Amino acid sequence: MTNFIDYLLGGFSSGAVIALMALALVLVWRSTRMVNFAQVGQAMFTTYIALTVLQSTGNWLLALVAAFGAGLVLGVLVFFLVIRPVKNSDTTGAIIATFGVLISLQAAAGMIWGGDPEGFIPPVSNAGLEFAGRIWPVSWYDILVWSVTAVLVVGLTLLFTRTSLGLSMRASAFNPEVARLSGVRVNRMLITGWAIAGATGAVGGVLIAPVSTISPNSFDILLVFAFTAAVIGGLDSLIGAVTFGIGTGLVISLVSGYTDASNAPVVALVLLALNLLVKPDGVFSHHGARSV
Amino acid sequence: MNTVSRVKNLRTFPGNRILWHAVIVGVVWLLLLLLNNNIDPLYSSYLALVAMYATAMFGMTILVGLSGQVSLGNGALMAVGGYVFALTSMNWQTVPIFGWPWNAVWSMVFAGLGGILIGGVVGGLAARLKGPYLAGLTLGLAVGVPAITNRFPELLGGENGLMLTVPYPEGGYAAASGFDSTDSAGDPALDPSLDPNAVVEEDQYAELDLSEFDQGTDAELAPGDMLTEEDLLTEEDLLTEEDLLTEEDLISDGGSGTDGVDSGVDLGADSGADLGTDLDSGLIDGFDSGFIIERWQASMAIAVACLVAFAALNLIRGRQGRVWKAVRDDPIAAAVVGISPSGSKVSAFVVSSLFAALAGAVFAQILSFIGPGAFGLGLSLSLLVGIVLGGRASLLGAILGALIIVWLPELVDGLAGERGWPEQVTNNAPNLLYGLLVVAVVLAAPGGITGTIRGWVDKARDKARSPLS
Repeated sequence: MTNFIDYLLGGFSSGAVIALMALALVLVWRSTRMVNFAQVGQAMFTTYIALTVLQSTGNWLLALVAAFGAGLVLGVLVFFLVIRPVKNSDTTGAIIATFGVLISLQAAAGMIWGGDPEGFIPPVSNAGLEFAGRIWPVSWYDILVWSVTAVLVVGLTLLFTRTSLGLSMRASAFNPEVARLSGVRVNRMLITGWAIAGATGAVGGVLIAPVSTISPNSFDILLVFAFTAAVIGGLDSLIGAVTFGIGTGLVISLVSGYTDASNAPVVALVLLALNLLVKPDGVFSHHGARSV
Repeated sequence: MNTVSRVKNLRTFPGNRILWHAVIVGVVWLLLLLLNNNIDPLYSSYLALVAMYATAMFGMTILVGLSGQVSLGNGALMAVGGYVFALTSMNWQTVPIFGWPWNAVWSMVFAGLGGILIGGVVGGLAARLKGPYLAGLTLGLAVGVPAITNRFPELLGGENGLMLTVPYPEGGYAAASGFDSTDSAGDPALDPSLDPNAVVEEDQYAELDLSEFDQGTDAELAPGDMLTEEDLLTEEDLLTEEDLLTEEDLISDGGSGTDGVDSGVDLGADSGADLGTDLDSGLIDGFDSGFIIERWQASMAIAVACLVAFAALNLIRGRQGRVWKAVRDDPIAAAVVGISPSGSKVSAFVVSSLFAALAGAVFAQILSFIGPGAFGLGLSLSLLVGIVLGGRASLLGAILGALIIVWLPELVDGLAGERGWPEQVTNNAPNLLYGLLVVAVVLAAPGGITGTIRGWVDKARDKARSPLS
């Protein structure tokens, strides 16, 4: 039983990061109705930028801000250079194009920073805290991860529910034509969506980097987990992404704890397949049935 | 009946179409074998890789191009084929099947069956999904399947993979059993050690081959010392055999490459002096120059690629190809005319899985090794890159894609050597090029190389036909 609680607690941090990545996927889905398979590639790239900042200044907060800014810029760049030109051609092409971006970003990161995994020094201790006579699988760093995630999620919720920008974004996601008729600059909303998604993913990358190491391919597995969480959550639901992101993190932690870490991707695959079979539109989905 | 309508009939009557495809594939096969035998073994190993990639990409042509399903799972399905091949060829080599001894062909069959099985399961799931959902699910497959190998370290070798002893053709290594070569039938890899040319061309094989040659030709050739015999061979052999090749060989052998291979081994058994009976060995002349493993691998990969291409040609240009395209372009309209959209998607998945598994089995033989590292997400992505660059919906595009995938890294390597780039730039330059090229192709020329050229040709033809221009 103590094992169970330990594994569960240990899963919250990775769950928070998966939730952020899933959020990024959902934000992109809401703005352009497509899955950005390059999302973790962007996050990997901005995390390398953060690593460079951290190594030169030693300031973790500055690194986080740098990653956040780079994420915004990269999201806008990918949207302008790749997604907007391809968007209206074919869905197959759009999916392939995002994979093209992923390959390019990974190769570029490998060129600039090399392929070897690099460590990312956390700003606070990564060691388990001692409390009530035993060591728990929760560190100050985990608490930092939870707090940053919570701030970001609350911020996004406020943005979408309490501001006119959020209202415009929701309107253009819900029905672009009607939104455009009502005076919403839909294109700007799409750019904003991609920018926020890029920044959210970037924060997730910086948060996971001290736990895993960082290399051009080290976030690939995160893409599978985040996609699983986003799809189970319904792909257009922010709450769904957060809920099932954390849920996926917990399941993975339990599976890794009781069996072996190499089972985690298989379990994610099974979860995804089951969900797609039973409830393909996801649990928190708004939109109706897909055609055929 | 004039020529035009005869040609039309040839194209529309299915039996003739299949014959036509057989002729095309047969000719290509022969040309590739000739090429393989006349190039440096180093290039043969590239040829083997190209043929292997092309095999897998034919499946991608059907799945992505014709059926419109973006899958990243084909690398994982190659892993399935490769592991099935490795396990069956390692553990079942002593088991005869239907009275026949086990050999590589049986392992290939089982690899193909494994691909069909897994492809059916994944395809059943995939038929319910579209677009990004399918891409995401197969992405999970690409990441998850290699991870499974870590689950069963005893069986699958874990992270280190399995070294496999590739079942080479009889006599490949051990020359002693070289004469009993009937069971290498159907396999274009033959008995190289039997041919006297080997003596001339390959010094390291000289002793083995000569001793063998002795057994077959004692009567005719004076069993003198090694040197004299070698002299005899150089004089007689090259002359007669080459003459025969030009005169009779091409006529007698027609379109089928395998026949030539079978009878090629008669040479040693019949008699050394009477080389005239060996009409066919000339065709596969290069094989006779000793056992070169790269050439054998390339000939095997080419054989699989050609058989798969033949199947793919018939599927794509037949009814099934039209069904796939119909469902891709408009699933509802297809359903209205009585086509099952999900059935069509599953069948595309199963066919492409079969091809991928066969390619995986070939890959395992080329590497003599199989491990999760070789079948990661990168392999799946490179298949997608190749098919997009070459041309999504054509088999020629798949071949061009395979060429690009194999050739581009070599090109970059060469350039890097000249310019003195640091290693981390060189290693990543091909992938950066792939990524940028894929984006550029999707944006500017969605048809890839073949699609774009076809577009130009169509445009030119329309212009020529139009009375107004």
